[in-house]
Amino acid sequence: MTTLSKTEDLRRAALDYLWMHNRSWIDMAEHGEPLIMVEGDGIRVKDSEGRTWIDPNGGYVSVNVGYGRTEIAEAAREQMRKLPYYPQGTTTEPLIRLAEKLAELAPGSMERVFPVNGGSESTETAIKIARAYHKRNGQPGRYKIISRRHSYHGATGGVLSMAGSGEGDRSDYEPFYPGMIYAPQPSPYRCELGGSTPSECAVLCANAVEDLILMHGPETIAAFIGEPVSSNAGNAAPGDEYWPMIRDMCDRYGILLVADEVICGYGRTGQWFGMNNWNIVPDIMGTAKGIVSSYLPFAATVAKKEIADVFAGDDNYFRMTNTFGGHPVAAAAALKNIEIIESEGMVENSARMGEYFREQLRDLQQDHSFIGDVRGLGLMNTVELVSNPETKADFDPELRVQERLGDKFYEKGLILKPVGQFINMGSPLCITTGDIDEIVNILDDSFRELTAEVPQVLN
Amino acid sequence: MPLSDTATTEEFRASANRHLWLDNRDWTQMEAGGEPIIAVEGDGVRVTDSDGHSWIDVNGGYASVNIGYGRTEMADVVYDQMAALNYMPQRSAIPPTVNLARKLAQITPGTLSRSFLVSSGAEANETAIKVARAYHHRNGEPGRYKIISRFGSYHGDLGLVQWLGTRPDHSTADYEPAYPGMVYAPQPNAYRCGAGDLSPSKCAVRCAKAVEELIRFHQPSTVAAVIAEPVTNDGIVPGDEYWPMLREICNEYGVVLIADEVTTGFGRTGKMFGLEHWDVEPDIMTVAGGMSSSYMPVAATIATTVIADRFAGPDSLFKHVFTFAGHPVAAAVALKNIEIIESENLADKTAKVGDYLKESLTTLIADHSIIGDVRGIGLLLAIELLSDRATKAGLDPVMDIPKRLTAKFKDRGLILPVRGNIVSIAPPLTITEPEVDEIVHAIDLALWEIEGELGIASFA
Repeated sequence: MTTLSKTEDLRRAALDYLWMHNRSWIDMAEHGEPLIMVEGDGIRVKDSEGRTWIDPNGGYVSVNVGYGRTEIAEAAREQMRKLPYYPQGTTTEPLIRLAEKLAELAPGSMERVFPVNGGSESTETAIKIARAYHKRNGQPGRYKIISRRHSYHGATGGVLSMAGSGEGDRSDYEPFYPGMIYAPQPSPYRCELGGSTPSECAVLCANAVEDLILMHGPETIAAFIGEPVSSNAGNAAPGDEYWPMIRDMCDRYGILLVADEVICGYGRTGQWFGMNNWNIVPDIMGTAKGIVSSYLPFAATVAKKEIADVFAGDDNYFRMTNTFGGHPVAAAAALKNIEIIESEGMVENSARMGEYFREQLRDLQQDHSFIGDVRGLGLMNTVELVSNPETKADFDPELRVQERLGDKFYEKGLILKPVGQFINMGSPLCITTGDIDEIVNILDDSFRELTAEVPQVLN
Repeated sequence: MPLSDTATTEEFRASANRHLWLDNRDWTQMEAGGEPIIAVEGDGVRVTDSDGHSWIDVNGGYASVNIGYGRTEMADVVYDQMAALNYMPQRSAIPPTVNLARKLAQITPGTLSRSFLVSSGAEANETAIKVARAYHHRNGEPGRYKIISRFGSYHGDLGLVQWLGTRPDHSTADYEPAYPGMVYAPQPNAYRCGAGDLSPSKCAVRCAKAVEELIRFHQPSTVAAVIAEPVTNDGIVPGDEYWPMLREICNEYGVVLIADEVTTGFGRTGKMFGLEHWDVEPDIMTVAGGMSSSYMPVAATIATTVIADRFAGPDSLFKHVFTFAGHPVAAAVALKNIEIIESENLADKTAKVGDYLKESLTTLIADHSIIGDVRGIGLLLAIELLSDRATKAGLDPVMDIPKRLTAKFKDRGLILPVRGNIVSIAPPLTITEPEVDEIVHAIDLALWEIEGELGIASFA
């Protein structure tokens, strides 16, 4: 069989049998898609027809150490040879080592680890812990969860009801979970509450949380959940006042602070955890993606000792079963992954390369007036496109700006699609200045072509 | 002090009890009891711990290790795929995910053909519920949101699915408020089918009709789906009328039928899938555990062409993403696992050795009055314990029998946690008759011992 026919066979089978993410199999068939990916190395992947692609978004912002680290494959192979799984109620060495490592890396007294299989499961677990915690503390009336609009915490029943873009994406799944409270997103470029500086926006948005707490009554609220920097909201870091104010408020009203570090964790923001940027110790955090750089499905919910200890003792145990949770092979891969991040200084590289990346993107802003904002922290960065810098409005849909840009990126070998007005890039932490220059050049060329085709985009 | 490369078992155990949060376990008691066991090697139904003790895993890691421990060929599958391509979001395809989806379409019944790959059984069930609700939206019936599940069933512990079914050994009060739109139907358990004894057939008919009554009571226009396991984790096998009737009722009222085959799939009941016992095709099927024999976290939600095609066009997309969904390494492992199940005829073997195991367990009834029921099919079996056969009253909580019996099993080299009144017996499908004899003998002795200690009359 030739390479091409094998590709065609796989492509047809994919169209017939695979339910891919947010993709139409009718559409894909018309465009000779999907791509069949077969190899990876650093920030690049190769398809079955031999073409190399740059993945500037690092596999849903998750492949922190980059593709192709065979030492992780070796660690996984070694554990799989010894023991592929474990009997109910027992545990394994790689998981214990990993839990210990997480306790060492996590701030403050966060040292109890509940392992699960994905980011959604890690935030679901965090919420379950929060509610059950209050029950054990004699406050069963605390069940409501405060999240922020435009944030994202996962795709399963409980966490799906939190956050959200408000664009009708979730109406398919009504009704939602009861007790959801939505706070404003402290996004300085588009401050819902009219703050004109990051600080002003941060204070206004934090005060709005306090208003919500008082309106609902603190005795009804279990937890506040937020990403240190929300990728879904376009990587807008809040002003420095925000997290300290939220931490203080949670303490004053007895509300647990849940940090969703699924994206921010493990070096993404230039610190081990996103909250470290503000020296905040949350009560519980959900982590996934970067914990294992997506080499296997693995995730973990980490709680403060003081929280977990409420679950000690015969009748207090946390009632939750997760068959694959704490998988020994995935734990071995995660352990090796964290070792690589640590030994290769990838957290520091993330901070440095992030700065460089944003500098280059800001240079682009000089040439392309439709770039409204360039922002980010570490290696989670966003270019925001606007039709008008005053109103910050989106383009006329008839200009098909996002679609055109997506096509241009594709033609130039970049796996990247604008999401609404955002071009989000959460690149592997092993990225180099050379890689960044290459990505920025492609963006530059694509923007130039766009301007030539649709001069109306300039303002 | 971090664990060194040469850390002792005691050091590992101390670290585990300090940092690890194990499912449904309390670290203070584990510490006091010299637990947890730290498993380091496995082969077939046996696992060796870090102290060199050998154990039989009677419940096969939550009834999931279908091909048994020690399949070292899986290690190369992991290495080869991970070294080539360790990950890719499900916006592109990767050979192992495509081949896995194709394989699932081939081996699942009827027109089940499109797979949304995920990483756990709970995620698969969450996905199935989302598909069902979104399907009705696309059919112009957005009012259909309620989900009918059964008492005593289990579908996972995440936000929505934790409210499906009911837990035998604890309530869900910790996680209130409950999810809206949950409707509960009776479990077709002939041993406890309402008042009085009913034949499996009569119980099946009664319980299926109850589903119909619930649909009519709630109005069909509000009901999205019925979700049920072909055989429950507690070994409840419905009478033969049940599933065909459920299928017919769902068709009549436009309700989506979801089969949760997370435990029953991939040979566990003596057929590749549980519903093959009744030749019923669900609209959506969820699978996990046995699909990879737990060698990797991987699961799938599989829909019929009719269901999936409602989501085909660019404006009808199913909006649902998990980062790890369709993981290439997990998919490669699942493919190899299915190949082993097929090439070693493990479903057929399960039917035979399962019959033998069930017969052997049934002989214990005569000697142990604490046993109320022995049930199940294939290698998804259960012993129900009780305090009084005449009234079928459950165990006396004061006697603490589940914990004591779990300890007795442990003394005899069995890893077999007792949950509530249920002893679940679901070993790897590769189990041999001598291994069955060994397990049944150990259970017999453990029961004698506990009966002696607690002064329970042994002879029924």
